Amino acid sequence: MTRYNIWFYISLFIAGIVALPIITVFFSFFSETSNYFTLLKNTFLFDYINNSLIILVSVLVITFFIGVISAYFVSFYDFPFSNFFSWSLILAFAIPGYIFGFSIIAFFENYGTAYTILTNLFGEHNYNPLIPKFDSLVGSIIAISFSLFPYVFVLTRSSFLFQSNNYIEVGKNLGLTEKETFLKIILPSARPAIIAGLALVSMECLSDFGTVSFFSVNTLTTGIYNSWLSYDDLNTANQISFILLIFILLLFSVELYSRREAKYHQPSRGFKPINKIRLTGKKSIIPFLFCLTIFFISFVFPVTQMIFWTVKFPKYFQDIDILKINLNTLYLVGLASIFLVFISLLINFGSRISKSKILNYLTNFSISGYAIPGVILAVAFITFFSNLSDLITNNFNIGNTKNLFIGSISGLILAYFVRFFSLSFNGIKSSYEKINNSIDESAYLLGYSKVKTFSKIHVPYLKNNIILIVVLISLEVIKELPITMILRPFNFETFATQAFVYASQDLLEAAALPSLFLIGWSTILILFSTKYILSPKN
Amino acid sequence: MSKNFFEIINGHFVASEKNKVNKVNLKIEKQGDIVSLLGPSGVGKTTILRTIAGLQKISSGEIYLKNKIISSDSFHLEPEKRNIALSFQDNSLFPNYKVIDNINFGKKRFNGNRTILNANDIIKLLHIDPILEKFPHQISAGEAQRVSLARSIMSKPDLLLLDEPFSNIDQSLKDEIQYSVKNLLKEIGLTTILVTHDSFEAFSIADKCGIILNQELKQYDVPYNVHHEPNSIDVANFLNKGIFIDVRVIDSECAVHRLKHDELGEIRGKLSNNFTSGSKVKLLLQPEDLIHDDQSNLKLDVVDRKFRGTNFIYTLKTKKGEHLPVFVHSHHIHQHEKNEKFGIKTPIFIDHLVCF
Repeated sequence: MTRYNIWFYISLFIAGIVALPIITVFFSFFSETSNYFTLLKNTFLFDYINNSLIILVSVLVITFFIGVISAYFVSFYDFPFSNFFSWSLILAFAIPGYIFGFSIIAFFENYGTAYTILTNLFGEHNYNPLIPKFDSLVGSIIAISFSLFPYVFVLTRSSFLFQSNNYIEVGKNLGLTEKETFLKIILPSARPAIIAGLALVSMECLSDFGTVSFFSVNTLTTGIYNSWLSYDDLNTANQISFILLIFILLLFSVELYSRREAKYHQPSRGFKPINKIRLTGKKSIIPFLFCLTIFFISFVFPVTQMIFWTVKFPKYFQDIDILKINLNTLYLVGLASIFLVFISLLINFGSRISKSKILNYLTNFSISGYAIPGVILAVAFITFFSNLSDLITNNFNIGNTKNLFIGSISGLILAYFVRFFSLSFNGIKSSYEKINNSIDESAYLLGYSKVKTFSKIHVPYLKNNIILIVVLISLEVIKELPITMILRPFNFETFATQAFVYASQDLLEAAALPSLFLIGWSTILILFSTKYILSPKN
Repeated sequence: MSKNFFEIINGHFVASEKNKVNKVNLKIEKQGDIVSLLGPSGVGKTTILRTIAGLQKISSGEIYLKNKIISSDSFHLEPEKRNIALSFQDNSLFPNYKVIDNINFGKKRFNGNRTILNANDIIKLLHIDPILEKFPHQISAGEAQRVSLARSIMSKPDLLLLDEPFSNIDQSLKDEIQYSVKNLLKEIGLTTILVTHDSFEAFSIADKCGIILNQELKQYDVPYNVHHEPNSIDVANFLNKGIFIDVRVIDSECAVHRLKHDELGEIRGKLSNNFTSGSKVKLLLQPEDLIHDDQSNLKLDVVDRKFRGTNFIYTLKTKKGEHLPVFVHSHHIHQHEKNEKFGIKTPIFIDHLVCF
């Protein structure tokens, strides 16, 4: 078989699309080398980096404790509602950091929800001085932490679940106490999973735009956004992007490395599931209260706040065309899913039948898109397509081609594609690799062509997996804020953009309705996918 | 052009640097013959099968099936167009289809052998009926092998390739399945190449048997000849049923050839290779060659005794240090302990004197 076949060119093309933002950022950084110092001075770059790092470190510490402790409780102990918590804590994924931020402000602000509750309970009084106020930095940290801790929770928990009871029994047999067993056996063997979880948290945290922007904290992402929007300075925006990308790149390598290491911790043959320790009475109080508190803060609190406002200000049902937003979202979700799943299947099939190494490198590169923060992606897209459009206009005397990808659905889908390709590609690949190669060969020998093998054997086998991938893509697209904000067509609203636009206009009450819809859809999708993940078949 | 049903001419098969087989010449003269390829693990047997099936290209040489070329240096017929079925060693059932649907997958091919096959007969023959409604992940490795076999046969191929088809099947079922598969293949006249490392399996099923050793097809003959007249020391050692002892040829001209061993004395029989009288050669001595006789004057020390169910294998030691294996029927009236003397009937007569 030739090495440069059709699959090679398709993969090369896709790798090229994913590389667009990175290359654009790279070129922008080195194209103007004269004014680095002014850049630093004028853009408060140190300030940005400083804030980004403070948030990052704090979020890491908080998510580590919340995630690992709650995972430990639900994996090793049987206490009231422990099964409920084992999936309900994941629901925090339904609440993006910025919506959590709206809820914090709404609750604690002067004459806010807390004030209303106190008044109803104890009568009229000026409670405002009594209610704690959050510094915007602290607010961001809390909001981001509670929206991201499920990464640590999910990965740690699954690593705990796959830990063989044999090790724990050996530990006990060697005379370790419960605490020693945890610190010396359980925690070290879950380390790769925990690091992978924290790496994801870091990447998401550094990419976060909505939360920090809502709290008006100057970080690298808001810096990029503001340089573009307020100063119309794409060059500076891309230069800041470059710095952020370096941070991300570091984290990306940590994540890859920890994942490679995680392979060596796979359960072997003598796998025995963990026997949960049954806790009753007093002993069950601590884990129960801990999980309940986390569940309450991370999910119940923001949902209740949004419901409260939606009910309290029903007039926004008329002001907001919620049906239209639902349809818009469905439209984006549908297009993105079809596009992503189709290309992912194609590339997976191609690398399966051509077995070329170059192809593997190319696809491995293509999935790196998920590490690029949405803001960078969007700004780089604008930069690239503006330059391209100028080039075309100058040379070929054709009108403006910019609008084909900027402020259009096609551009939006293309950007989603870069960002979420790894999600759909890896999701399908993991299932695809379970199909033994001799199965394909059997099909050929029974007279099935390659294409027929794909449609008759592969696709039916991957069907469930594809559904799961579509659910996950939908979840991401619904929650996605910066890409949609920057690249969407004029007046095209999703739940995320509508909520964010109102919130940044200080109309938090109006943001409640789209937020509630966003949470609702996300919750349904999460419940659906966790049912898949938690079901014994998978 | 080849006149045979199937033929490999000067085939070179390469899977990796170590795993290759050179200069293979193999003929299956008529349809319905069963051929087995016997060799140690990792010698390249599977590579040959995969190349015949078209899953791999041949390095050089030609393969013909029904007088049509299917593989050569410059030509490669795609596997789906060859009408050759391969039953894999590992489980290759389609995971998302039930056992019965897997079997029926084979039926969809119409260009094949016209013999009418009844799926139910095959299902019964291979004892698949209790698991028809199960999915591949719910059945054992042995069951999967039988299903895979059924699927391959149902596809009515011109040529059936079996890669260690009975390796995972329970010992208790193995003999029966081997027997019924052989009968079935003969009945429907399905030409088959079977790969195995088990010489019993190869001998009992095949019409002809090829021995692959050291990257070569060493011998290709009917099983009886392969066993009794291995054509090289390598083949004899691989079949591993006997040992070589040093003897001298005293007479190779008369009707009955005679050899002499220092301790065993005269050994009579028919030499399979030509040697001049007086030459020193190595004689293959198999366990069934020597006959136990308590009355005999020729006595050797017992160094080991193994119980094999139907027989005992005694190991006797000569003064020179050779260890000779001897079969004794299980019902033999008494047993000999270690270090006891053990009589051997003289003069020794062996049908085939295999010497090198």
